[in-house]
Amino acid sequence: MKKAEGAQASLGQSESTDVSFENDKLKSVRSSQSTAMGVRIIVDGRIGSSHTTDIDDVDGVVARALEAAEFGSPARFRFPDIQEGPDVRVYDDRVPPVTKEEMVHIGEEMMTLVKEYNPDILLSAGVSKGISYCQFANSAGIGHTTEDTTFTVWINGQLIRGTDILWAGHGFGWKKREIDHVGIAKKAIELFRMAEDTARIKSGDMPVIFTPEGVNVLVLALRLGFNGKNVFLGSSPLAGKLGETIADERFSIADNPLLDYASGSSKYDGEGVPHQVTPLIEGGVVKNFLYDLDTAGRAGTQTTGNGVGCDPTNLVIKEADTPYEAMVKDTKEGLLVHNVLGLGQGNPMSGEFSVNVELGYKIESGEVVGRVKDVMLAGNTYDALKNIAAVGDKAEWAGGSLLTPPIQVDRLSVIAK
Amino acid sequence: MEKALRKSDAEYTEIRIESVTSSWVDFRGEELDSIGSSRTLGGIVRALVKGGWGYVIFNDLSDLETRVREACGSARLVGKGESTLAEVEPVVDEIRASFEKDFRDVPLSEKKSVIEEYNKIILGHHEKIETSNVSYTDSFRKVWYGNSEGAYIEDERPDVGVRISATAREGDNVQRGFESIAGGGGFQIIEGLQEKAEVTARRAVDLLSAPPVTGGKYPVIINPRLAGVFAHEAFGHLSESDFVYENERMRELMVLGKRLGPDILNIVDDGTIRGLRGTHKYDDEGVRTGKNYLIKEGILVGRLHSRETAAKMGEQPTGNARAIGYQYQPIVRMTNTYIDRAEATLEDMIKDVKLGLYALDMVGGQTSMEMFTFSAAYGYMVRYGRIAELVRDVVLTGNVFETLMNIDMIGDTVEWPPAGGGCGKGGQSPLPVGLGGPYVRIQNVVVGGRQG
Repeated sequence: MKKAEGAQASLGQSESTDVSFENDKLKSVRSSQSTAMGVRIIVDGRIGSSHTTDIDDVDGVVARALEAAEFGSPARFRFPDIQEGPDVRVYDDRVPPVTKEEMVHIGEEMMTLVKEYNPDILLSAGVSKGISYCQFANSAGIGHTTEDTTFTVWINGQLIRGTDILWAGHGFGWKKREIDHVGIAKKAIELFRMAEDTARIKSGDMPVIFTPEGVNVLVLALRLGFNGKNVFLGSSPLAGKLGETIADERFSIADNPLLDYASGSSKYDGEGVPHQVTPLIEGGVVKNFLYDLDTAGRAGTQTTGNGVGCDPTNLVIKEADTPYEAMVKDTKEGLLVHNVLGLGQGNPMSGEFSVNVELGYKIESGEVVGRVKDVMLAGNTYDALKNIAAVGDKAEWAGGSLLTPPIQVDRLSVIAK
Repeated sequence: MEKALRKSDAEYTEIRIESVTSSWVDFRGEELDSIGSSRTLGGIVRALVKGGWGYVIFNDLSDLETRVREACGSARLVGKGESTLAEVEPVVDEIRASFEKDFRDVPLSEKKSVIEEYNKIILGHHEKIETSNVSYTDSFRKVWYGNSEGAYIEDERPDVGVRISATAREGDNVQRGFESIAGGGGFQIIEGLQEKAEVTARRAVDLLSAPPVTGGKYPVIINPRLAGVFAHEAFGHLSESDFVYENERMRELMVLGKRLGPDILNIVDDGTIRGLRGTHKYDDEGVRTGKNYLIKEGILVGRLHSRETAAKMGEQPTGNARAIGYQYQPIVRMTNTYIDRAEATLEDMIKDVKLGLYALDMVGGQTSMEMFTFSAAYGYMVRYGRIAELVRDVVLTGNVFETLMNIDMIGDTVEWPPAGGGCGKGGQSPLPVGLGGPYVRIQNVVVGGRQG
């Protein structure tokens, strides 16, 4: 470290156990132990980085980072000194003692429940636990150790009727042992139940309800658009729009790494900067972008603790006032979208999406009447957010790092076969 | 390794150790965003007992025997049936990579200069170019593989690639041009791409004034780059036997001898073609790769297997068990998948289309086995037998039981554009695969978009 103006190093060790079920039976148990060390060094105002799995090779990883720094990107920041991070819970001591037998039992219970509903559904499932330790230090004096746990449970079913193939499932992962696996199985069953019939649908513009899982279709553009690096470089359509109204007043979304036990939560970011809650859109108005040290340095602003890379941690969409049941009941003809194919494989930065509705249902006269197939849905997130028909009153986790109520958009383009 | 394997009491055990050195250079906009290198070393033990698998993954190589014992313990916990693996002759072999220009000998500063040049070309192309993203990565993977049947293979796998992206902007309208070039070989693969950088920038600017394609059903002509993704998503994944071997209904749907497409359709997966990203001599179970016909003259004739799926289906192993790295167990994956050539030319395909779409290059694709999407980088409407206006946001969807049957013309040359990226499955992404093919015309394809 003698030639460097600044440096940061992190050393991580983690262990995990995964129990997997495939085709209705227990298939494998996987145990993993991993180590990693990463270094970023600033020399003559330039940054280079390096990482290795060999935590004993400090000299090697430093040498390689120094080599890279020689030609590295100009550093627009200095490594920060000590700031105390806020309190957020990321370690659950009930996770490490979970046994393989217990994990097998959770999987078997979920599968039994789904089989009771319909024995023809072919099932896969997984239960995983993990523990990790990370030591972080930088040349400005920061030094801390964090410990966190993870626990994940999922089940996926495949039902083949003639040439019709239906996949549906549910899962959840976070840092706490407490996961309602029975509830997960029941959610999966409900998705199958709604698909018992196949519904026909005609091409046209219609209202679309996105389930919490489906809201990912709208949120992808926001993940990219609020990334401070994309804003600074001008590729985000939101560049220059701080303070502007870009969405319905019922729509608010924030980056929140301080939710206890949530997947993306922790005390500090990858640069040792304390985490904070950052509102992105509030009442439809653009409030903040997400930054790391370097991008903030270039843009002339402050880091928001989203280092390294300016990506969101946990995204939280605020609940509004419309119960999901009311959204469905008030829909004369529309679509309920849960899962899609092809998301992100186009020009997501622009907000555009054009996807196959892999798991979606037709709503007719206020009722879900069956599953639709071979249907494309197209639209633009930024238009959709201005045309929100309703925002749900109950937020749910959609995967580990999006917490959102269902959202109904007034009109989107549906192309049917 | 041999010593540790002998300590196993499982019916089958294998150890795979990998060392990977890699470097990267990433430009975003005018400045270098990130530059660095990494080293990883790790391994995985797989043990099979009574049809149940135990896997142990580690970075610490110092106590392989204990790792083997742990894997056996896990497998014993799981296994309640019968272990079956297709018989293969255990191989002892050593494969050394050969390059025209070994990227390990290229100093980081030179890698940076090459990328910097492409980046400058993009940024200087046009005033409407807002920003760029040009990134280089290389990795050299050395694999040591041994199993309880006596196989021992050392394999060197280089991979190098460049991703070039240009962003053009006009008010709120942001469009992207994108190219990726990669290969399992030397540094020379990514040299001399100045023209590609120009083309990428030009496309981003052109797309600013292109309307989004109107949604609907069209005859679609796809170019070789897109035909590769089409074959991969529309059908390739369905040939992966782990989706079929313990799935009675899927077996019935995918019974060998069933007609899935017209007589002119042949789809092949070939892990032996020189220079392609999915090519390697042996898969990650030590099984020799090969040329496997999946569809011949429109009929389903073959599948892709691991030793386990082959045994359970009473078919021959094909050498398609691949793992993306030491942190994972091998699963059935494609290698280089393509629609084989027939007789038509692009001109033939275009000239009798009254209203259709010519879709080019790929952004990606996804499948749910029955339904699939594939996204083109851009397209042109075809009107009265002529290529007409540029359109954007071209995403096509299909259904495997219909779309393959709607192929009515196949081109006369198979091309292998050297693309980067890879395939994702079971959390193992991106696995390098070869994507290629001829021009293909498909009738009645649903294209997403706004109403006409």
